[in-house]
Amino acid sequence: MKKFTTVEEMEYDSKRLKETACAVCIDTWETRAENQKNHCKFGEGGICCRICSMGPCRITPKAPKGICGADAAAIAGRNYLRSIVGGAAAHSDHGREIAYVLATASRDGAYQIKDEQKCISMAKEFDIETDGRDIYDIAHELGNKALLEYGKPFGTLTFLNRATKERQETWARNKIAPRSIDRECTEAMHMTHMGNTADATALIRQGLRTSLADGWGGSMMGTDFSDVLFGTPKPVNTEANLGVLDKDKVNIIVHGHDPALSEMIVLAAQMPEYTKRAQELGAKGINIVGLCCTSNEVAMRHGIPMAGNFLQQENAVLTGAVELIVADVQCIFPALGPLSKCFHTHFVTTSPKAVIPDSEFILFEPQNALENAKKIVSMAVENFVNRNNDLVFIPERKEKATVGYSCEAIIEELDGVTNSHVDLTGTYKPLIECLKSGVLRGAVGIVGCNNPRVRPDYSHISAMKELIKNDILVVVTGCSAQAAAKAGLLDKEARELCGDGLKRVCELVDIPPVLHMGSCVDISRIVLLASKVAEQWGIRIDQLPVIGCAPEWMSEKAVAIANYVVSTGLDTYLGIEPQVNGSDQMMQLITEGTRDMVGAGFVINTDIEKLTRAMIDGIEAKRAALGI
Amino acid sequence: MATLFERVFKGSDEMYALAEQAIAEAEKNYGDDEPVAFPNTAYFMGCLYAMTGTKITTFGQLKESMNWIRSQMTREKRTHDIFTSGIATACSAEVIEACKYLGGKTPYAEPYLGAMADGEVRELGVPLVTGDIPGFVVIIGTAPTDEQGVELIKSYQTKSIFVFLVGGIVEQARRMGLNMGFKVRIFPLGDQLSSVAHVVSVALRVALIFGNVQPGDYDGMRAYTFQRVMAFVNAFEPVDDMTVACGAGAISLGFPVITNDDNDMWRVPKSLIVQPNISEFVETSLEARNIKIKITQIDIPVAFSTAFEGEIIRRGNMQLEADGSRVDCFELVQTVDAKDIEDHDIKLIGPDLDTFEVGKKINLGVLVKVAGKKMKSDFEPVIERKFHTYLNCMEGIMHTGQRDMIRIRVSKDAFDMGFRAKHFGEVLYAKIKSDFEAVVDKCSIEVYTEPADVTRLRHEIAEAAYNMRDDRLNSLTDENVENFYTCTMCQSFSPSHVCIVTPERLGLCGAVSWLDAQATYELDNSGPCQVVPKVGVIDERIGKWDSVNEAVCKYSQGALETVSLYSIIEDPMTSCGCFECICGIEPMTGGVVIVNREHAGMTPTGMPFSELASMTGGGVQTPGFMGHGKHFISSKKFMAAEGGVQRIVWMPKMLKEQVGERLNKTAKELYGIDNFVDMIADETIVEDDPEKLFEFITEKGHPVLGLDPMV
Repeated sequence: MKKFTTVEEMEYDSKRLKETACAVCIDTWETRAENQKNHCKFGEGGICCRICSMGPCRITPKAPKGICGADAAAIAGRNYLRSIVGGAAAHSDHGREIAYVLATASRDGAYQIKDEQKCISMAKEFDIETDGRDIYDIAHELGNKALLEYGKPFGTLTFLNRATKERQETWARNKIAPRSIDRECTEAMHMTHMGNTADATALIRQGLRTSLADGWGGSMMGTDFSDVLFGTPKPVNTEANLGVLDKDKVNIIVHGHDPALSEMIVLAAQMPEYTKRAQELGAKGINIVGLCCTSNEVAMRHGIPMAGNFLQQENAVLTGAVELIVADVQCIFPALGPLSKCFHTHFVTTSPKAVIPDSEFILFEPQNALENAKKIVSMAVENFVNRNNDLVFIPERKEKATVGYSCEAIIEELDGVTNSHVDLTGTYKPLIECLKSGVLRGAVGIVGCNNPRVRPDYSHISAMKELIKNDILVVVTGCSAQAAAKAGLLDKEARELCGDGLKRVCELVDIPPVLHMGSCVDISRIVLLASKVAEQWGIRIDQLPVIGCAPEWMSEKAVAIANYVVSTGLDTYLGIEPQVNGSDQMMQLITEGTRDMVGAGFVINTDIEKLTRAMIDGIEAKRAALGI
Repeated sequence: MATLFERVFKGSDEMYALAEQAIAEAEKNYGDDEPVAFPNTAYFMGCLYAMTGTKITTFGQLKESMNWIRSQMTREKRTHDIFTSGIATACSAEVIEACKYLGGKTPYAEPYLGAMADGEVRELGVPLVTGDIPGFVVIIGTAPTDEQGVELIKSYQTKSIFVFLVGGIVEQARRMGLNMGFKVRIFPLGDQLSSVAHVVSVALRVALIFGNVQPGDYDGMRAYTFQRVMAFVNAFEPVDDMTVACGAGAISLGFPVITNDDNDMWRVPKSLIVQPNISEFVETSLEARNIKIKITQIDIPVAFSTAFEGEIIRRGNMQLEADGSRVDCFELVQTVDAKDIEDHDIKLIGPDLDTFEVGKKINLGVLVKVAGKKMKSDFEPVIERKFHTYLNCMEGIMHTGQRDMIRIRVSKDAFDMGFRAKHFGEVLYAKIKSDFEAVVDKCSIEVYTEPADVTRLRHEIAEAAYNMRDDRLNSLTDENVENFYTCTMCQSFSPSHVCIVTPERLGLCGAVSWLDAQATYELDNSGPCQVVPKVGVIDERIGKWDSVNEAVCKYSQGALETVSLYSIIEDPMTSCGCFECICGIEPMTGGVVIVNREHAGMTPTGMPFSELASMTGGGVQTPGFMGHGKHFISSKKFMAAEGGVQRIVWMPKMLKEQVGERLNKTAKELYGIDNFVDMIADETIVEDDPEKLFEFITEKGHPVLGLDPMV
């Protein structure tokens, strides 16, 4: 059996890179995390209210209420809802950017329609006439109508129709079916303004609704319109970890989330003039690699190698071999500014939403996208000569990975194991049969960030290994997907680590046991997958032996995601405690209270072994309830 | 509804309980020292040996094996547990079957066959790798009607799938008068489910024999069978828990189960498939196991399949025959200019078969003319030798011999179905065009039945061609060719074995001569036969060349580094496992014993074929043992490094008859010995006693006595 990269080996490489950090006198997240200990207990418990200037008010046994009379539940609930809004706004704004790109795409422009079929089928969802129309006309109308989803005055989100009938009814019954996306965010902000909602249940309910506006609204647009513009992902081979950096080439890192930027950089870098120029300057060519979710986007559409996830961003620069790192939005460490100054590395920011000191800002908009991308690639190439080879150290480790399992791709793979004499194609039936018979015990979507509160990557990787050993299929997105990739779990050979059932399924379908479904907006793919499986199985989605898990989550986006996954009916297992434990009522609401509304809730345990055990038990309990 | 896990666990417990019962029953009559064995196998209890590595030879050991079986019947709700319980079920079944054979009993009688001999498993090697047998089906249970059952079997037969039968289906087939047996590729195992162990043993012995998977390598066995043994199961309703448990064992080995039982049945893609319609079992099953049948559509009124290759037509069932030993007959392939023939021009010249009385010996001449830019006269005999297989594959037609010494029988059934003389042509045309498409652009066939025509053509054209070919063959020696060839056809089963085929040493399966290899290369120059230029001689006497070593190393993926073509002691050629004969050292005489796989009896080495054969195979070099083709025995290069054919001291009588004439000729040429074969002992002279063998050859003045010891 092949040897898989261990977390210890990853940590060894990080440690070696810290020597370089030391040599150039710069700190990294490890030292800063150390400096931040011990965290403020009021902040951790969510019971510090800074919403008006009478305070801040903090809840203690002696002072159980704020000046206005808000109790722990009201304060924690408001803070919690605001974090959901932060996440939903970020994801949805990403979706909005892509919708704008779609609305302005043109046959001879930088952005074109790659998946016409998906464009047409989405247009039909929006009741757009498609017969006999130019695909760009359709795309423009689709983009415009989609943008209205952010602010339409009446009705609920169009994509809710994609959910099972039962879910739509559940959402309507509980009054959590989201209306327009911006409205839910605004309403949540309004609700949490001084002197408004103090009832924790009402705050939680709006949290579910706002999160649904993200998962079944903004994120889903981000996913689907990216597919229309850049192609629906299909399985493609790539490599992961810092070993993908090439010391002989001009290394460009694309970082952030929005494929509108990274797609253009990839396009520009493929132009022969830049490779030629790179060679003139003594490089063997241009090597583009990705970081964070941008990496997931370009890996699954182009096989661009994956340098690493959230907590690897500083390491990438510390190799000393990066000519340029270009970022758009979300999860960009401000630390990259001063860090890049210690090397020859250009740190380029491009979005007015992520303006960072010590970076070079180049405004990136659809109309100037390719021109600016060329400018950025050129900057990187010209910078090759400035590399200080004394500082260059690239850890060699990397793993093979097969990425790009969109729902469409999964169905295509499953078609391969149907039998034309008894089965139909184009369904999840083969997966359902494996789940029903118990050959697979269940499926877990593992998602989310890295977090120094736990041993980074270890929680992801150890949970995945234990789950696949127990015949539980794992699907991943975001930084979790990158952790899996670095550990070799996205390599088809990882089937050797599985229980016999999952191993056989992987052999027959020819897939890895951990399926890469994309970036963090692509958790919308996971909820759609679960919804269709429930529909085709003929049971409620909350009855499925399918759950979500965010073992190392840290961002507000993750809070929004966790809420929409629960709203969709899937129990969600968290390895980091949401910052509400200053209120027992809030803790009860997020773990149990939501079950009465949507049939699912959080299970929280910061011990990853125990959390994993709880996931396996949770899945078996769902199976037992189904009698399978 | 019981879960799949509950059903497998219950069925596995039931089979285990039956095994305990069988043992308890046997204990009444047998002690722990009582020998236990299946006939004609060197692999002990095949399933238990393969999965555990334990060599069970006594009843006591058989009882002990129950502990291991029990240990495999774990009860976690994981696929691993149903897989191990499934294999344990097969092993329990094997224990039950072993008890039946205790005391040297032969528990199975017509129509049941029980355990399959190693020799038969080995015989399957070549057809499996060539795809002539694309797979195995195990049919379990009783079909809804006898007709449906037999129709299913026949449908597999026409697709050349080897059929194993377990349970009621055997009796159904017997009632319908179906011809069964190894030769026609229908193997009725037994009437009870436990007899299924015998076919599991076949699959696992394939891994042991051809794959060199080590006994006891549990996961290695499963990986090999999953990837390389194209077997599957058809189970008729009602499928009980024990059958489900056996099914789990099959699925563990990679063999899908297809059933028409929808009751309490759990579907698993490509593994457990419910097909309510029995008439669609075949297509559903083939798709489930990814078996693609190469279909050659031939316009004949009888079935065409390799399943009929071994069919015997007895005189009583014979409409007529062409018998080259009594009347003039011939078959010939002739290369002609493309402009001189029309493609697919099939002519009957003379009276058709329906004009002869029943039982008549007729004259038959088959002249096949081929043309093609890449056609060479060297390919003529290669194509012509295939006639035997092509004609035999027709249901109701039997072909033996070659050239002008052929015998072709047409059964009454085939005749009644409308078989006539032109159909010989249709079959030959279709097969030649599909198998030799790279060299044959056009092909026309003339079938002669008028005695005068046949006699004239035999003497005027055929004999001249045969003589020319003989001259060519005689001139083909290892010394006067520039290239040898590899043959890696077996690598789908035996991944590290490589044959080096030379004019004087054909492939060990007996199926690939140097001319065949040359033609195979011409037909597909990236195929299994690759050119090995004969350069860089290291030692010509023992047959070592740099180029040969390089080729062996390259095509065995580094498993082998060096090979001597003419020695059985120093780096002998490896075997895949499907060799026709095995030769091994007999220490007392300093000679070698050769035994062909048809011979089930003992040899003076103290080992029968099965055991000798198990000493080598799977691409491993075992000095002192070598698998080879029958024709190699009379080669001047046969163990030339150790003194050649004069080392042969014992062969079965049947083998002596087959190779005697040519062997005598070789011995005369090499050593000036007349009637050398008479100096070689056989089973009628000595069976298993080396001293008696030594006496015999001493009495005969056998030349081996004057040679130095081999080792």
